[in-house]
Amino acid sequence: MNRTIIRLTVGALLGITLLGSCKKDPLNNLTNDESRIYVTNYDTTAVFSSYSTFSIADSVAVIQDNQFAGRQKNGFDSLAINAVTQLMQQRGYQKVGTKDNPELAIGISRIYNTSTGVFSYGDYWDYYGGYWDPYYWGYPGYGYYDPFAIGVYSIQTGALEIDLLDLKNATANGNKLKAIWTGMARGEQVFNTANVSNEVTALFEQSAYLKK
Amino acid sequence: MKSFIQRYGVIAFLLLAVGTAAQAQYHNDLQFNVNYNVNIPSGSFRNFITNPAYKGFTAGLAYPITSQLRVGLSLGYNDYYQKYPRRVYSEGAGSDISAVVSNSVQQLPLLATVDYTLLKKGFIRPYVGAGAGVNFVSFDQYLGEFDNPQSSAHFAVRGEAGILIPLSSYSGTAIRIGGSYNYAPYNRNGIRNLDNWGIHAGVSIPIR
Repeated sequence: MNRTIIRLTVGALLGITLLGSCKKDPLNNLTNDESRIYVTNYDTTAVFSSYSTFSIADSVAVIQDNQFAGRQKNGFDSLAINAVTQLMQQRGYQKVGTKDNPELAIGISRIYNTSTGVFSYGDYWDYYGGYWDPYYWGYPGYGYYDPFAIGVYSIQTGALEIDLLDLKNATANGNKLKAIWTGMARGEQVFNTANVSNEVTALFEQSAYLKK
Repeated sequence: MKSFIQRYGVIAFLLLAVGTAAQAQYHNDLQFNVNYNVNIPSGSFRNFITNPAYKGFTAGLAYPITSQLRVGLSLGYNDYYQKYPRRVYSEGAGSDISAVVSNSVQQLPLLATVDYTLLKKGFIRPYVGAGAGVNFVSFDQYLGEFDNPQSSAHFAVRGEAGILIPLSSYSGTAIRIGGSYNYAPYNRNGIRNLDNWGIHAGVSIPIR
């Protein structure tokens, strides 16, 4: 009886251990496109139809772990600037230069955040004798002292950020440039040039109020 | 998720083993039940997931009080998952999120059970049962690839009915088929409960 119970319990414990693999992992069931999210926020007091002109920065700000890392203009950046310009014009706004008193300013940023952690790879050393038998070094029958083995990993995530600033009412806003609309795209391959048009379009499509 | 299952699952089965070992000192006619389950969300649970959980099982031990009445312990596992097409969700005034939402819920109910077989003999023996205990829940909602996993424990009650089909008149082994309703209060993330209907098929094996 007791042996049977022990067998059942051991079997059940093994079953429970295997249960983790019974879970359907949502991440394995997402395409890169499905992995991305698009977040927009706007000032509910802003009257978007009251603006006529906009100016857009000719480069993109790169922000690395909350630090400004400079302005760049690679292939992705150019496509993003063009896509935003095109969609703003389709919404009835006129593009002008920064010296032509634009009523709206558009800045685009690439934001990178890095998270780090440590992991142990002691299991690797547990079987070291299997990979490199001490015989190979001329010490048959010897063993290994396992080292204290840890590793460090680093994961970087990115986001595309588009900010629409109110220049028209800067003075009335207490001499501050107020962001009246922001759009952010995050997820897999967010900085892939093949995706930039869809990303910018998605942000504008969920912002129907953003029009002249 | 593995850590959730392993942590609570191991605790649950150790409780099961300890309780059973204590009983086994005095009786030798325990019944081991193992079932494959399909569970279908009901109530407000369906606001989040409507897909049935095809990955489910229940395992338990039942000790005879009389020839028709058994009490025991049962542990179950169900994995619910549903992905919704991309749509825009309003997050309050002026804030919108476009995302593919995936909801993933795992339930691990550990219940004290009582079963009553309506007929002592016969090729088909109907039974009714009930259980009450703790429901360990892992709830994870993904917006795209970004999630917010939460684990918690709640009260749970199960009522079930079904039939036992003995394999022979000499064997205590029987096929077990039935259905159940699982009342599982939750009250988090806007969900009042994780109630579900279940159907199961399995086997009861005597432990001698």
